[in-house]
Amino acid sequence: MASLNDYLFISGLLFAIGLAGVIIRRNIIVIFMCLELMLAAASLTLVAFSRFHASSESTLPHYDGQVFVFFIITVAAAEVAVGLAIIVALYRARQTINVEDLTSMRG
Amino acid sequence: MQAYLLEIIIVISAIALLLTEAFITPKRKYRIAILAILPLTIVFVLNVFAVAPSEYNKEMTQFYAWDNIARFFKGFTLLATILTLIFTLDYRRTLSKFTTRPGTEEGTGEYYSLILFACAGMMWMASAKDLVSLFVSLELTTITTYILVAYMRRNVGSLEAGVKYLILGALSTGFLVYGIAWVYGATGTTDLALIQEKITDQNQNYLLFGVALILISIAFKVGAVPMHLWIPDVYQGAPTPTTAFLSVASKASGFAIAIRVLQPFMESGNQVLSSKFTTIIAVLAGATLLVGNLAALRQSNFKRLLAYSSIANAGFLLLPLAAWNSDSALASQHAIAFYLGVYLLMTFAAFFVLAIIYRNTGSDEISAFEGLGRRHPTLAFMTTIIMGALAGLPLTGGFWGKFFAFESAIRGGLWVPVIIGFIGAAAGFYYYFQIIRAMYWRESLSTRQIRIRPISYWTVKGLTIAIVLLGFFPKPMEWLIGEKPTSAEKAPQKNQDQPVAVNTAN
Repeated sequence: MASLNDYLFISGLLFAIGLAGVIIRRNIIVIFMCLELMLAAASLTLVAFSRFHASSESTLPHYDGQVFVFFIITVAAAEVAVGLAIIVALYRARQTINVEDLTSMRG
Repeated sequence: MQAYLLEIIIVISAIALLLTEAFITPKRKYRIAILAILPLTIVFVLNVFAVAPSEYNKEMTQFYAWDNIARFFKGFTLLATILTLIFTLDYRRTLSKFTTRPGTEEGTGEYYSLILFACAGMMWMASAKDLVSLFVSLELTTITTYILVAYMRRNVGSLEAGVKYLILGALSTGFLVYGIAWVYGATGTTDLALIQEKITDQNQNYLLFGVALILISIAFKVGAVPMHLWIPDVYQGAPTPTTAFLSVASKASGFAIAIRVLQPFMESGNQVLSSKFTTIIAVLAGATLLVGNLAALRQSNFKRLLAYSSIANAGFLLLPLAAWNSDSALASQHAIAFYLGVYLLMTFAAFFVLAIIYRNTGSDEISAFEGLGRRHPTLAFMTTIIMGALAGLPLTGGFWGKFFAFESAIRGGLWVPVIIGFIGAAAGFYYYFQIIRAMYWRESLSTRQIRIRPISYWTVKGLTIAIVLLGFFPKPMEWLIGEKPTSAEKAPQKNQDQPVAVNTAN
């Protein structure tokens, strides 16, 4: 059975991939996907900790972390709804979704 | 009245306003702002008399802290929201130019209720004593402000600002959640009061990692160094009322959660953790002061200048936070609260002046101020006082704000950030006085009269008078904050005898 460290390693990797994507990629939609990846990494960490925390008293997991994941999913959904709407509005105005073209302000 | 009803009133009135909006004719949408100011004022008064939720109400007390910090920051947020709504009333012509059916105000109705939702989120942030409620309330605020920033959707600048804010905001959410996950993993709880008891030598490195990640997302909220990049562009592109709201209310609520998150670690008696956090925040403060002040020196756009000034002010505000240890907790919170109180007055006054100048000249540049001394002497005089206060001129409220910040940092022995802070304050005199120089020593090409709406004029006048009064008598503000225990809005007799730490631990 996979140990806590395995899960933490995978979620750390996911987080790092997401962060690297946000920094490197130039397409806003892809950046947005990478941001969601970071949230998924955090959710996985929470669930892993929640599963492995119980040990001492009972075999039940420590449910706080799992409930938190529901909050993260809800908030992420709201964020995507607003975020994609803004990106669509930007595309209509500028015909581009490349961050390098967002240069109307300088100084 | 129990304290958690305050936010419920705000949320219900925001929803009610959103529904009412459908029945108001397109030309009269500004009435929603007037309707929105009403519940805010009522809640502002109720905030003074509110009491903590009862002990038996476990579902509430687990997530909702009610103490002097909460009361002060709630009052602060409400005042900032009321000022933002007044500001929007004045700004609505510009706003309506870039929304649905330009020129008719038809698309501006939702703006006012969105501000109320953001206000409710910030009020919850002031009371967040659990990482879950902290996260959810912070996201309520952030997601609402994404919309507020990108609200002028026929204006490319506003949309670009919206996208930049969205990406960096979502990035900081990622850091926050991952940090919370590690804190939860290290301690097995998300309750900040319980975390304090669970710090051991084994888990302190995991906690350090987790809280450092949370600090990155707080730095985004307050506009401090590793996450300050969004500030200039977003401030410049966003509608000016949103900019003022972000600059004041959002920054203040960032400090409210910074106090909440750091409290268990700074007061736990664990020397390793508290000294490491002190170093981290001191480094952030020094870097923020350096970046904000030096970049502000070469700005020619007033709105961008205010953006960099906002970064610099975040640096000054971080000084007392860095000086926080278990002995000086009250002094640090007091300094932060005083600085924020003065900062609210100065920043709103500066943004009102900016909006007046923009409407008259159509430009945000510093050159737009040229000749103001002759064209409108009263406004020029008030602007002089506001700029002097922002620079920290003695006999204005701004001086005492900086004085208390430096005092607590010096008492904490943080010499390097203090020296950087002094250099930054000196630089501040240069870049704020550029405006004064433009007003009095440069001639304007246009001699057209400056026209000001009465509502802006009287608000600026009131704010300026408050700044000057605070410069002569800083005592009223201290009394307002609550001198003895910590920050509290307006004479909190009920909480006077309970120190903050005890109150949050129940």
